Amino acid sequence: MTILAFTLILLLGAYCAGLLGSLTGLGGGVVVIPLLTLVLGVDFHYAVGAALVASIATSSGSGSAYVKEGITNIRLGMFLEIATAIGAVCGAAVAIYLNNNFIAILFGCVLVLTAVMQQRRKSDHDGVVGSEAARRLRLYGTWPQKDGSLKAYQLRHVGGGFGVMYIAGVLSGILGIGSGVLKVIAMDGIMKVPFKVSTTTSNFMMGVTACASAVVYVQRGQIEPGIACPVMIGVLCGALTGARLLKTLDVRLLRRIFCVAILLVALNMIWQGAHGQF
Amino acid sequence: MTDHKPSRRPAHDIQQLIGNTLRIGVTLACAIALVGGLLYLLQHGGEPAKDYSHFLCTASDAERAAYTTLGGIWHSLCAMTAVGWIQTGVIVLILTPIMRVALSLADFVQERDWLYAAISAVVLAIIISNSVGGV
Repeated sequence: MTILAFTLILLLGAYCAGLLGSLTGLGGGVVVIPLLTLVLGVDFHYAVGAALVASIATSSGSGSAYVKEGITNIRLGMFLEIATAIGAVCGAAVAIYLNNNFIAILFGCVLVLTAVMQQRRKSDHDGVVGSEAARRLRLYGTWPQKDGSLKAYQLRHVGGGFGVMYIAGVLSGILGIGSGVLKVIAMDGIMKVPFKVSTTTSNFMMGVTACASAVVYVQRGQIEPGIACPVMIGVLCGALTGARLLKTLDVRLLRRIFCVAILLVALNMIWQGAHGQF
Repeated sequence: MTDHKPSRRPAHDIQQLIGNTLRIGVTLACAIALVGGLLYLLQHGGEPAKDYSHFLCTASDAERAAYTTLGGIWHSLCAMTAVGWIQTGVIVLILTPIMRVALSLADFVQERDWLYAAISAVVLAIIISNSVGGV
């Protein structure tokens, strides 16, 4: 295979990754890692670097739209970024000592969790009584409704959410993906933030979390120019197409199919990792 | 809402600014990387694809410095090499969210929201210290 062929395959794959990632709300990294490792036979350490680039590109690319609509809770995001950034630093520090098979199994487990969590009910958490800590930190917010009015919400369990966010940061530092599933567990499940606010704030935070470990990855040479370039461009174009399609398309069926697909990929990863095939 | 201080200007403005920063940063990063990518394909497109199956097997230390250190990337960029352009695109991409945190910090200071100014400063400090000191 020539460099030209490799680049074009990767560009096309990354475009699909960005498209699927944005339509399903999982981010581009989730598809980029299996594409590189299982399909193209790339070492996990390079794949994780590429996934980091993909995460920053999707977060910044799609995040800009949601911030403008006022759905993202910037205070909440900023506060929790302390936890994810520290986590990402720790994750990046240990990542170099982990072998490919361990990373594969960990990635598979996060994918399984992601697929399972996709099935839960999406709740607006009406009538949650906020905690004192959340009030002091001024984390309460409002979010726009379909009719244009603003709806206020409160939240609680700040400490628990902060702790889970730290773990999300560690996983992001090791795997390069946004680990949005843990972020949404922390915000939606523990802190009782409305679902839509949870997902957009999680996406908003992904870029900063990834940055905290990205520079270390560059310094180690894990972000390879020949891989990073097509991944960055492909994922971003895919994510932009996805954001446009999302307005007109009903993606429920696609999400269900995608869920089964990542479950299969996850089992494959865990199986191969457990048998030391990476 | 007694716990919200009235801000002097609508929070909407800063959200617009952050949104625009993210969009412009990403577009710029991609444009730079695209130049690099085209150069790369023009110069090396016909060569056989590199072996990425084992981490750190393909390049020597000197070669690696060209895309792993800021000085090396700057040198490669000045020399108009493909690798230099691509990695500059990556650096711009990484700087985009960092800029976003810095903008939020400035905004919180302007609103005299000291708690959140401090929180933003901590986030910024973690990222910068890890980038400078981390290995």
